[in-house]
Amino acid sequence: MQVTKAIITAAGQDQTALPLQTVVDRAGNVRTALALLLDEVSSAGIDDVALVVSPGQAERYRQAASVHGDRIAFFEQHDPRGYGDALLRAREFAGDQSFLHLVSDHLYVTRNCKSCATQLIEVAQREQCSVSAIQPTRENKLAFFGAIGGAPLARQPGIYEVHTVLEKPTPTVAEQQLIVAGQRAGHYLCLFGMHVLTPGIFDLLEQAVAGLEDGQTANLSQSLHELAQSQRYLASQLDGERYNIGEKYGLLLAQLAIALSGDDRDNVLTELVELVAKQ
Amino acid sequence: MSKSSSMATADLVEVITSNDPLARNTSLDAVCQNLSREELLTMCGQLDQFRRHSDNLYHRVRALFFLYAIHRFHLPRELAGRECGVIPFTAYEGLLNRRFQEAIRDLLVEQELSGPSITLSSGLAAAYHSLAFQTLADQVRKSVRTVKGNQWMFRTGHPADLPLRIRPELLQVDDHGCFPLLRERTSVRMDFSHSGWSDIFFLGMDFPEGARVINASVDLAVRGKHAQPEPPIEAVLRVIDEPVLRLVSIDLDASADIRSLGEVYDFARDYLGLLKAAVIASGLIPPGMEGCDEGIESVLNKLVGPGKGLEIVSRVNDIPKGSRLAVSTNLLGSLISVCMRASHQVSRLTGTLSEEDRRIVAARAILGEWLGGSGGGWQDSGGVWPGIKLISGSPAEPGDPEHGISRGRLLPRHHVFSKEEISHETRTQLQESLILVHGGMAQNVGPILEMVTEKYLLRSGQEWEARQEAMAILDEIASALQAGDLREVGKLTGRNFAEPLQRIIPWCSNRYTESLVEQCQAKYGDQFWGFWMLGGMAGGGMGFIFDPAVKGEASDWLADTMLATKRDLEHSLPFAMDPVVYDFEINDSGTRAELVSDGAMPRGYYELIVPELLRRDMQGLSSTQQSELQRVSGLCRGTTAAADPGLAHRLLDRILPEAHTEAENSTSLAQLLEENGFDLIAHNQLREDILSGRLGLPQNRLPANARIEDVYAEDILDARQAIPASLGQAAEKAIAAGEVAVLTLAAGVGSRWTQGAGVVKALHPFCKMGGKHRTFLETHLAKSRQVGQRWGQYPTHIVSTGYMTDGPIRGYLDRLDYAGRKVVSRGKSVGLRMIPTARDLRFAWEEMQQQLLDEQQEKMRQSARAALLHWAEAAGEAADYVDNLPMQCMHPVGHWYEVPNLLRNGVLSDLLSEQPSLRYLMLHNIDTLGASIDPGVLALHMTSGACLSFEVITRRLEDRGGGLARVDGRPRLVEGLAMPDEREEFKLSYYNSMTTWIDIDRLLEVFGLSRGILDQADVVDEAIRSLGRRMPTYVTLKDVKKRWGNGQEDVFPVSQFEKLWGDMTALSEVDCQFIVVPTVRGQQLKEQAQLDGWLRDQSAAQIESLCAWS
Repeated sequence: MQVTKAIITAAGQDQTALPLQTVVDRAGNVRTALALLLDEVSSAGIDDVALVVSPGQAERYRQAASVHGDRIAFFEQHDPRGYGDALLRAREFAGDQSFLHLVSDHLYVTRNCKSCATQLIEVAQREQCSVSAIQPTRENKLAFFGAIGGAPLARQPGIYEVHTVLEKPTPTVAEQQLIVAGQRAGHYLCLFGMHVLTPGIFDLLEQAVAGLEDGQTANLSQSLHELAQSQRYLASQLDGERYNIGEKYGLLLAQLAIALSGDDRDNVLTELVELVAKQ
Repeated sequence: MSKSSSMATADLVEVITSNDPLARNTSLDAVCQNLSREELLTMCGQLDQFRRHSDNLYHRVRALFFLYAIHRFHLPRELAGRECGVIPFTAYEGLLNRRFQEAIRDLLVEQELSGPSITLSSGLAAAYHSLAFQTLADQVRKSVRTVKGNQWMFRTGHPADLPLRIRPELLQVDDHGCFPLLRERTSVRMDFSHSGWSDIFFLGMDFPEGARVINASVDLAVRGKHAQPEPPIEAVLRVIDEPVLRLVSIDLDASADIRSLGEVYDFARDYLGLLKAAVIASGLIPPGMEGCDEGIESVLNKLVGPGKGLEIVSRVNDIPKGSRLAVSTNLLGSLISVCMRASHQVSRLTGTLSEEDRRIVAARAILGEWLGGSGGGWQDSGGVWPGIKLISGSPAEPGDPEHGISRGRLLPRHHVFSKEEISHETRTQLQESLILVHGGMAQNVGPILEMVTEKYLLRSGQEWEARQEAMAILDEIASALQAGDLREVGKLTGRNFAEPLQRIIPWCSNRYTESLVEQCQAKYGDQFWGFWMLGGMAGGGMGFIFDPAVKGEASDWLADTMLATKRDLEHSLPFAMDPVVYDFEINDSGTRAELVSDGAMPRGYYELIVPELLRRDMQGLSSTQQSELQRVSGLCRGTTAAADPGLAHRLLDRILPEAHTEAENSTSLAQLLEENGFDLIAHNQLREDILSGRLGLPQNRLPANARIEDVYAEDILDARQAIPASLGQAAEKAIAAGEVAVLTLAAGVGSRWTQGAGVVKALHPFCKMGGKHRTFLETHLAKSRQVGQRWGQYPTHIVSTGYMTDGPIRGYLDRLDYAGRKVVSRGKSVGLRMIPTARDLRFAWEEMQQQLLDEQQEKMRQSARAALLHWAEAAGEAADYVDNLPMQCMHPVGHWYEVPNLLRNGVLSDLLSEQPSLRYLMLHNIDTLGASIDPGVLALHMTSGACLSFEVITRRLEDRGGGLARVDGRPRLVEGLAMPDEREEFKLSYYNSMTTWIDIDRLLEVFGLSRGILDQADVVDEAIRSLGRRMPTYVTLKDVKKRWGNGQEDVFPVSQFEKLWGDMTALSEVDCQFIVVPTVRGQQLKEQAQLDGWLRDQSAAQIESLCAWS
């Protein structure tokens, strides 16, 4: 399995501006969130990137992508039918290859020398199947993420065979369907916003979108759940963190995480301590 | 020496631990019946060791029940001659404070020191029994908490952690700014058979293979009132534009805006406990948040959004309490379902629920019942499921939280019968043949469920066989339903009730039900197909199956017959309402929800809410509330599509209530008081004394320096020993000569017997003897009849009555056939109850020893007590209690007056004229069933020449409330109220049975009277007043029920005063003696929960041997 393409979805109605926010990267340069995402993709050796955006947004995103702008193929999502539909719009781009998929409202901070995308692709290439990145998440955050249920793979710490995927479950449902051995009480394996998917996902998305009634939207989790029923599908816990910049203070927390893992760590820490001391 | 050497003492542990069902199901009675005292005690020691070390829950519980039963039923038989013992006060305190292990330890230490005794065994039996139920209840609770889907709620301790959000569909406002309504409609469940109450959690979790129920979800209509059957339960949830949790119970006429988290967990504060339990159990405000200091706004902010709140409304359509249709559990299920739908916790916002969702709703309903301190069976959420289903216990498997702890899971499996299994025609036929009714009785089924659990775990032979039969009947009912044979179904449900159910628990039936069945059989013969007991006991919800050809006519006839029978028995049995007949339909969809925009709230909502809105400043109303008023206006004027022409009238009724009811009530109360000898001056003096602190619960007590000791051997006579034949013959001669009469005290209503329901205890058909339900009075008369048959002289039987019991007792006595003279002595004194003082309430609740309740129940009680204190202060301490039926506002003034009343009303004077030979009276309480004219005891009284001979019995744990003591060196009876310290009572060996042999002439001397002057009313009155002034007055608190709505009842503590007969022993001029009699002769039946033990320990058989029924 070779992963040479990436699809980033950024067409959500309330997320249009999120990737255009600016943050200071590890090296101290002011960049857009989109540019950081594209760095993540690039670090995994992927140059071919598709970006699914709302109609009329392509140019703004191209500018925000800075140096990566020229190698992005844009797909506009007219008559949007949800997140699943947005991904489906890039089917032609992916063709019959497995691809890396990221959401545009997350930023990723690795804890080792390999980027999160690189870690994920290595697992997918080793296991030759779809893999979603996951992160143990406390149950009070379940309302913001998709979550998986499954079983740990023997002798492969942090890798799970996925049986169930549910979108934003309540803990009531999660407790019944998403308990995974080895997790802390009240913690579930939630999606990280980063996947390596085989092209089979598009058939499932297409069926999901075709079955929608007026006013309904398709999410990715339902199709991932069906993927788990039809082929081998794994989840991998990466050595890194994801930050949802769409949440309240999400961007601030992401910025702090990036800064504390970068060149200006000492400065930022000093400033923070001073800030706390003055309050 | 051993009676049976064949029985190894280790057998009972083997019975408990055996994997062989035959061995495991061995009856305890069968093992113990031939064992000697030593063998039984050895066995107890082994069982006690076993239960301490076994890690298997049910092994421990069964060992505890075995220990209880041995101490309660088997050891007393072998302890003849060792009746007396002392229960350490520390053990009693341990029992009250639910420290059962410590109580057992203290009792066993005492047993080791002073040897076994019936007294100690009574304490050990109570302690083991309580510990067994506590262990079971703890396990059920643990299981409820560990059900997957429930656990997170106990971890969520702060609003910041709340993971739930209201679904966006509920946040879409309409053109008027109103949010949509999510409306859930739910049926109730009607059970065909519960295989001998096998739906009790404890039972299903130990014996899943035997736990099976068939029940159906049914919609109801009150015949003659509603047009057609509909789901009787409705729950509505909507978002509101105020940050409050608004709870509204339409049928209980209550609403509240909740603004703090603490209020949500305060269940007994108002009538909204069930809604609060639903809010908590559904996770909207999870149980883990109890004790969190945050305001409710922070929860609503997360859940619904800033500035918004939730309104949850419940309505039950005219089904009264006690319907045996599990209304409260299904209402809880309905409310939980609507809350879970609204917060994404079940998969469907509207329509029916999936099987997985129904299971989690049922699990939450169990949690809700636990939170509310109540408890139903596991079949009770049946209305959430559709159609007719078989509900079965389910063995615990690896991975289940119950695995390794109990044999079965907490939650059962539901198999919904398809139309192929039970055809549409059969369902229709069922509707056409079954008449569903509420007989009008509202009774507490709790004690019955405890008895079932106990008997199951003891595997008592007769009950175990009956259980097998009940299980077989369930299979036969299922087959008959599948074959479409409704006649057979009726036959089977009838047999189920008459045979196995009554063999397991005789108390599930009553005279009312049996009279109805007899009348159905007499009227309709073969066309009456059978009786159908619903739920835990008969008398409330019941079914009668008729040939469809006569069903219509039989429905009308049954309605009339039930009403007539109720009228006939309403003084004897606790009826909460007039009977009703239902039309019903099987509901094939289960609970169902719809999302309604611009919809009206359920009927009754606006009458409850609008008057409050109108009282407020219009500017202060939220926009939703203003829209609500506009909607009401439209409904009244008929300008909206869903016009409600009657609404305007109903609103007026609410806003301008009829004013004359209270005045009418006061008038009739005043009249009744006057007719019954109410002394207003004394009453006002009493009020003054109470308010000034001269009288009150603390003042009931003897001075703290009074020296209380147990009596000496010379202070008592022992009637348990054989008496010389010559003495006995003299007594027999006196009986034959008509020198003895019986005085049965029946002026009081026996409030503990029916928890203040106000029925006449003397007329309660409490037990089947001689093949029929017998009343207390009938039983006492049957003993007199046997005396008459034996000695040829039927003793005169006097029954003293009071304002509440006189009419019913006279009517009843007239119908009773008795060859001797029957005389009624009407009471001439009555008191008016008062609102208690906060001081007395606090004293009763804080200073006096109380039984600590189970954790959740205790919370409920504390919450209720806070509300009652508030009520007492708001209503006015020591003010007259008039907010109830007149009869419930008055009170009898204590049994001391009942003997003077004989003098005052002329009964004794007339009797002595007609029967001059009369010399002795045997006075006894209505509930002292063993009291009889026994020549042996009479002989002791006659030979002593005493004025009064009081019968006492050896004390057991349950004999609380005073006893025989030496007070400052003089033997006398001391009331429990008068004990200066509750510890003192535990020194005493003997308990007062109240049965008193009276030498009439000597008693008259005490009053300063004689036979010749009894017709001089003024002299008699003055004599009574004079002696009365020397008798202490006790202030007591009594629970009084106030009925309202649809069979609802509230219980209020009220103050009243009384003078007690036992205090005659304190008068130095009265020559008293005390005779120890066998326990069975002196024990009193104060609570219905005592009945089963009384039957099983052969007391009932011994009483019956004293009776001649005709």
